[in-house]
Amino acid sequence: MPVDRSVIGSSIGVRRVVIERGPVAVFAEAVTDGARIYKDARAAEDAGLLPPPVPPTFPFVMAHWGAFEELQPDGDDRSALVGEILGPLLAKGGLLLHGEQEFEYFSAVRVGDTLFGETTLADVYEKTSPDHTMTFVVTETLWTNEATGAPALVARSNTIVRNRNEAPT
Amino acid sequence: MAALDFDGVALGDEVPEKRHLLTRTDLVRYAGASGDFNPMHHDEPLALAAGQRSVFGHGMFSMGLLATALTDWAGPGSVVGYKVRFSRQTWPGETLVTRAVVVAKREEGGRKLVELDCSLSNEEGEQKVVGSATLVLG
Repeated sequence: MPVDRSVIGSSIGVRRVVIERGPVAVFAEAVTDGARIYKDARAAEDAGLLPPPVPPTFPFVMAHWGAFEELQPDGDDRSALVGEILGPLLAKGGLLLHGEQEFEYFSAVRVGDTLFGETTLADVYEKTSPDHTMTFVVTETLWTNEATGAPALVARSNTIVRNRNEAPT
Repeated sequence: MAALDFDGVALGDEVPEKRHLLTRTDLVRYAGASGDFNPMHHDEPLALAAGQRSVFGHGMFSMGLLATALTDWAGPGSVVGYKVRFSRQTWPGETLVTRAVVVAKREEGGRKLVELDCSLSNEEGEQKVVGSATLVLG
């Protein structure tokens, strides 16, 4: 079944996140980043890095840690759109894979910052091999620093659902 | 930590390699730190039922591990651009090895930038993650 490409370019939701010290320290440890600045504020101060900048891939997880409900803007939430595309494919036994990931930083993201992010569905497409059909969903999130109004970073993700083709009858 | 000197970095320089034996504990720790509880990363019976040889690592753990090699070298906050493609799954028991090499240097808007090609492979040389990064040096 061909994918619905009319949704490309749609905003699929906005989120406000706060970046707290504990989650950043836990995340740094999980990616084997032993930098002292995450364990000891005195080390961060000595390095001129207080408050500390987050590890490069932390923005991928910051909504998990810091998108508290009272911070969220009211209004139209279209975050279900990706689920509407991927849900039926996963329900058919598809394997969810991460294809590509990119971060482009415009300014430092630090502990204590509050960021506002808007995610756009940048592309949806399908590739078929004799055995599998791969459905690709590309999202792009622009994060803005709430205090300065300056763009902080763009995160681009390419997510894939791989489904085995049904055997010909 | 000692700040890297832009003038002291040459094309072809390699970032010190980071080696990491991937364990199931890494997978569980990353699941907790990221909120990614896709059972393929922690539930062995489900992973086997899905045709996988075991649980497998989060792609974003691989990307994070490779990023740590970069920030260990150039310092926290130095990465201003970072892009990867996830080409192969990672498996517990594999030793993952980072590689990053300087391919360009430029100054832009007063910033001293270094471009690197980077990858993460197992010890047999099978590439897991391939990408590029831009670092700003102080």
